[in-house]
Amino acid sequence: MGFLTPALTLGALAVAVPIVLHLVMRQRPRELEFPALRFVQQRRDSNRRRMRLRHWLLLALRCGLIVLLALALARPTWRPPEARGKAGAPIAAALVIDNSPRMQYVASGQSRLDAAVAAATGVLQQLPGDAQATVLDLTAGSPRFALDVSSAVARVENLSSVADARELATAVVDAIELAAQQENRRGQVFVFSDLSGAALSNEAITRIAAALEEAPEVQLALVDVGDDADANTALGEAVLSATVLRTGEPLRISAPVSMTGPGEPPLVELLLADESGELIKRNQQIVELAGGDATRTGEVEFTLDDLPLGVHQGVVQLSSPDALTIDNQRFFTVDVRPAARVLLAADAPTDATLVREAISPSLLGGEGQRFECETVTAATLRSAPLEDYQAVLLLDPPSLPPAAWDALDTYLQQGGGVGVFLGHNASSAPFNEAGPQKLLPGRLRRISRDATYLRPRRLDHPALAGMAEFAESIPWSLCATFRYWQFEELSSDSHVVAAFANGEPAILQRAAGQGRLLVGVTPLGEPPSPRGREPWNEWARHAWPYVLICDELTGYLARDAETQLDYLAGDTATIPLALDQRVTNYVLRLPDGQGLRRTAAVSDAALSISVTDDPGNYRVTSGSAQLDRGFSVNIPGEYSNLARRDPADLSAALPAAQFQFAATGVAAAELVEAAATGRELYSWAIGLVAVVWGAEHLLANRFYRRE
Amino acid sequence: MATVEKYLKPEVIRQISRLDLRAQFIVKGFLQGLHASPFHGFSVEFSEHRKYTTGDDPKDIDWLAYAKTDRYYVKKFEAETNITGYLAMDLSASMAYSYEQELTKFEYATCLAAALCYLMVLQKDPVGLVTFGERIVDSLAPRSNRRQIGNILSLLAKLEPHDKTDVAHSLTQLAAMLKHSSLVMLFSDLLADPEPTLSAMRRLRHGGHDVIVFHILDAAETQFPFEGLVELRDPETGDRLQVDADGYRADYLQEINEFRDHFARECRQSGIDYVPLDTSMQFDRALMEYLVNRRSLG
Repeated sequence: MGFLTPALTLGALAVAVPIVLHLVMRQRPRELEFPALRFVQQRRDSNRRRMRLRHWLLLALRCGLIVLLALALARPTWRPPEARGKAGAPIAAALVIDNSPRMQYVASGQSRLDAAVAAATGVLQQLPGDAQATVLDLTAGSPRFALDVSSAVARVENLSSVADARELATAVVDAIELAAQQENRRGQVFVFSDLSGAALSNEAITRIAAALEEAPEVQLALVDVGDDADANTALGEAVLSATVLRTGEPLRISAPVSMTGPGEPPLVELLLADESGELIKRNQQIVELAGGDATRTGEVEFTLDDLPLGVHQGVVQLSSPDALTIDNQRFFTVDVRPAARVLLAADAPTDATLVREAISPSLLGGEGQRFECETVTAATLRSAPLEDYQAVLLLDPPSLPPAAWDALDTYLQQGGGVGVFLGHNASSAPFNEAGPQKLLPGRLRRISRDATYLRPRRLDHPALAGMAEFAESIPWSLCATFRYWQFEELSSDSHVVAAFANGEPAILQRAAGQGRLLVGVTPLGEPPSPRGREPWNEWARHAWPYVLICDELTGYLARDAETQLDYLAGDTATIPLALDQRVTNYVLRLPDGQGLRRTAAVSDAALSISVTDDPGNYRVTSGSAQLDRGFSVNIPGEYSNLARRDPADLSAALPAAQFQFAATGVAAAELVEAAATGRELYSWAIGLVAVVWGAEHLLANRFYRRE
Repeated sequence: MATVEKYLKPEVIRQISRLDLRAQFIVKGFLQGLHASPFHGFSVEFSEHRKYTTGDDPKDIDWLAYAKTDRYYVKKFEAETNITGYLAMDLSASMAYSYEQELTKFEYATCLAAALCYLMVLQKDPVGLVTFGERIVDSLAPRSNRRQIGNILSLLAKLEPHDKTDVAHSLTQLAAMLKHSSLVMLFSDLLADPEPTLSAMRRLRHGGHDVIVFHILDAAETQFPFEGLVELRDPETGDRLQVDADGYRADYLQEINEFRDHFARECRQSGIDYVPLDTSMQFDRALMEYLVNRRSLG
């Protein structure tokens, strides 16, 4: 037994009023003439005693009435013993609202998020005045308990769906821990969810159950705001043939399409933004679906083959909206770049032929080429305009004049890419001088004649990352190596990128200002059968994987690797910048058209952008027009999964004493009433007041009736 | 019959301002109501013949007269002249009491007395009037002529109850005034000690007088209709008493009924007619009580 507003019990002091009235202001009886008074007088004494008794009875009734009224207004409650927990303690309610994109599913005019907000508001309004409340959603953050419930209500009402939602279970576990931390309060966690199987996986339920076990005082109530209707057509994550294209290279975009529920095969459109950013429809396609009755699947594929240079952004979308709109669009960004210019320097121009053909095959005629190569002899390297090239490859260089080494070093410091692949032209003495040592990772010791082959242990270095896709299938043993240079001692700022099968370093990297420097200890363009000497290696004997190695290493040095242009909501997008693109100010244009002016350090080789909450196409531009990049943000495909959990599974998996399930918002509000305040006795108390009042009236009327 | 009864109600009678008319109204209504003369055994001496009219009892037809005259005559009887009636009216202040009734006890008694007076004069009985409070206030010597009705009625109409009561003393005084055996009709609420009153009545009775006691109480006094807390005041003594009427009713009714029963019992033992009345009762019933009692005596 307790009171919701104990202060009002002080109203019982008003009981003094009838007592004073009774003692001080006795009501005058009606005066009547009555000749037969003598008969009345004979029974006077016994009657007076009876009357006094009735007077006291009336007084007691009136006092009782006032006390009862005061108690009733103080809202007495009775809590069943099993619900007491921290007996009589005020409640600390943590409301977890699933605001993942999936909750935007609209059924009968109301989204699931709207239903959750309505239910949560109802629960908050049911909370007693002394309760604390907090609202957790699926955005990351550290919630704490608000001082009053009204601020929690305001927070609920302002809640919107977030694309980069964290896991529901994480939020629930946070809420349970938060509620358990409230000293002297009974923790009650309400979860408003559509019971999606994706959000409440078995693993998620296990985590919640574990959290509940650690906080035995905390009660968990799960409120179902979903429904069983799950008709939806979803576009899966789009796959691009490449994110970086060369002029003339076609772009292929494919995306899986799945359809739950009945309906015609969906029409999918491809839209591409023009220069002003306006989306123009370029293609459309009716997707033929196949599969079972519940969910049919298909795939849509578009090809774009006339993309000019620059960044292109577009969207693949369903032509007609459905109940869940978030998976109706897939955004993409591609970058059409000119070929990277690479300078090949060799002792003789013919020595560069193999590498040149590997990275820029002459058969293709320059169309769609990744690299555009020029060849100079080592002797003329000094006069070449290095800054015009993205990368310089020294293929089996002889000893160069110090000025050439200085030029290369300057080029490196400014952000250029230099690859040095030593071979039979190198010798210890000139290469151990100061000039070459600015680039090389150590002093040359000797030429090893230990036959081995190239065998990188790991392919996680950016220079090799492109090979990771084929890691299992690369026949490394074909890269046989018979001779290679060994260093005396590696400098502290260098490390091994790839090694030979015998563990000796094969390709090393050395820090070099803002540039990239790779040093190979055996020639890259070694012919399989050189005239007049033994070959150093047989890498070029087999096109595969030689072409791949050349392509990757050159791409790395020329900073022309495939860049990621597609991110999930909430990820931090990274935009690598070329030397001439380094800016201090840039504008980030968000999908809604809003432009954010941002600053960056000139030294930053990449821009990091974390404002990626909303799906759509983002554009990064700089006023000087040197910088025009973009990327796309999409939501994970799992949000299209609308399959629901059976509430019975949850009840079975979670501790019964701590878990309650409410199928509707109204049921949730009732849960609050039962669990939070106990059973309110107001109606009973008021009923009792009415009875006492009636009795008092009856008695008073009999005593003091007036004509 | 129903019509007549309607007009015999006290509240209707009150609307007639002239007392003689009231008395006539009561008596005639009563006679019509009975259809036949109730005077048998009351007045036994032949007075005169009268033409038979419908409604007369055929057994009263004087067949001798019929033989002589070939017309129906009924015999009329005349009262014995030695029965002298005295109407003894209580003038005490308590008689002026009325609680939600049309007539006070005194007015009711007046109407009843007037009717009886009319009735007796009609029978040529001499009738006189005595009014008393603590002692006899006014008196009219008995006469049987028709003017006596006017005298008595005019005196009754003038009377105002105001005095204290001493029925016993007044009756003793009256007994001293009566020269030969008379019919004393006492109209009082008898709200005094019963024993002195009873003994005074008995003395009258032993003096050879017939005594009829019309014990008139207000309806409120017989029913105690009050509710809630009331303060009751005795108009004669000025005593006050606060009582809870609801809780008191049963006690009171028991007391008043015992009081009336006591009188009824004592009067019966002493050969006195005791007619308990209250002001809500109709006059024909009041008269009936009287006459039926008379007949049983006769």
